[in-house]
Amino acid sequence: MPEIEVKLKVNGRAVTWRVLPGETLLEALHAHHLRGAKLICGTGDCCGCGVILNGRSINSCCMLAAQADGADLLTIEGLAQDGKLHPIQEAFAEEGAAQCGYCTPGFIMRTYAFLQEHPHPTEDEIQAALAGNICRCTGYVKPVAAVLRAAEMMQA
Amino acid sequence: MLKIAAYHSPTTLAEAATLLAEEGRTVIAGGTDLLVNPRYMVGVREVVDIRKLGLDYIREENGELYIGAGATMRTVALHPKIQALAGGILARGAAVCGSPNIRNMATVAGNVASALPSADTPPSLLALDAQAVLVGIQGERVVPLNSFFVGPGKSVRERELIRELRIPLANLDRLRGGFYKIGRTAEDISLVNAATTLIIEDGIITAARLVMGAVAPIPLRTVRAEEALTGQPPTEETFRRAAGIVREEVRPISDHRASADYRRRMSGVAAVRALRQAAGLAPHGEEWHHA
Repeated sequence: MPEIEVKLKVNGRAVTWRVLPGETLLEALHAHHLRGAKLICGTGDCCGCGVILNGRSINSCCMLAAQADGADLLTIEGLAQDGKLHPIQEAFAEEGAAQCGYCTPGFIMRTYAFLQEHPHPTEDEIQAALAGNICRCTGYVKPVAAVLRAAEMMQA
Repeated sequence: MLKIAAYHSPTTLAEAATLLAEEGRTVIAGGTDLLVNPRYMVGVREVVDIRKLGLDYIREENGELYIGAGATMRTVALHPKIQALAGGILARGAAVCGSPNIRNMATVAGNVASALPSADTPPSLLALDAQAVLVGIQGERVVPLNSFFVGPGKSVRERELIRELRIPLANLDRLRGGFYKIGRTAEDISLVNAATTLIIEDGIITAARLVMGAVAPIPLRTVRAEEALTGQPPTEETFRRAAGIVREEVRPISDHRASADYRRRMSGVAAVRALRQAAGLAPHGEEWHHA
């Protein structure tokens, strides 16, 4: 099977990947040791594989790696800077907004994109923004609190 | 890993049409249907990505609104012109399709191409008399959406791609609209949805479209209900009569989401609620705030 060369930026670093035609972006991330985005439903229904593609939150399970040619990609691994957690990560930790933690990277990446557009969100807006992120431990209260807290921290 | 033998990324429409002429190839854009639903991959060996064809435009031309095949649900939901068109029914349909992550990738043209009866945007597009521009090796043809859908996942599209959708703007100032979706959760597909447009002159409905989703093998224009609305005043009584016809016209199925009986009953509810919006008897939703 012919490999395809894709050039993209991942967490600020220019990379060239050789991918297969049927490889999803999520599979390519995992193959390149970026394992934060999770395969959960694999059908675009849970947002556990969420990453930021050209500034927008997307599901990496329902996009081909080949389609990411030329893209600017941000994953959960790229949020912390110089060993310091991003305020959203801090807020999720402080609020205890993770139970088993499997869905948490997806929640955090969705929150990242959302707060870029809505730096002063209301609780209703947060609930709508996270409506697609599914947590099977059903911890939906604390993520909302964490997003509110993150918004405050990012203002400070 | 999906069983895809080759990925093509043409940069011209002609190149894309030539690639699609060969058996075993299909179109990919947002990928949110194609890559997750095995039904679309039956017989597919290679994919043709249309995202580098420059089709992500939304523009006015010749008194019509052209929505390029690359325009995402999000772009359409947030477009001021589309929000202003007939109560924003298309923007609202796009705004309730899936989750934010899906709306950032999925396209309205892809929603049409997938031809699922439960899709969120085709009812609004049908109520707006939209047309699809199809491009294949034989050239280009313009197909009214009213004759585009054939069955679940089936349309008149042959080895073609949708280049754009066109919506006539002739009655822009007079066209009122309504949209109502009944779903299980915020991101779920519709159990039932309804889209309508009305022209009301001197207290009488002079033109009506009433389209029901997820209650028939295709997004269903309920022509008999439209006829019953036309010539009548836009009142609760008129709408309830139309809803009675809708309940007769629909052909719902039972599945894990809802029974046929439930869908039939709810189709009347959704129809009345959409009609009330169009008549100004109920407020419009502005779902695009969360798009």
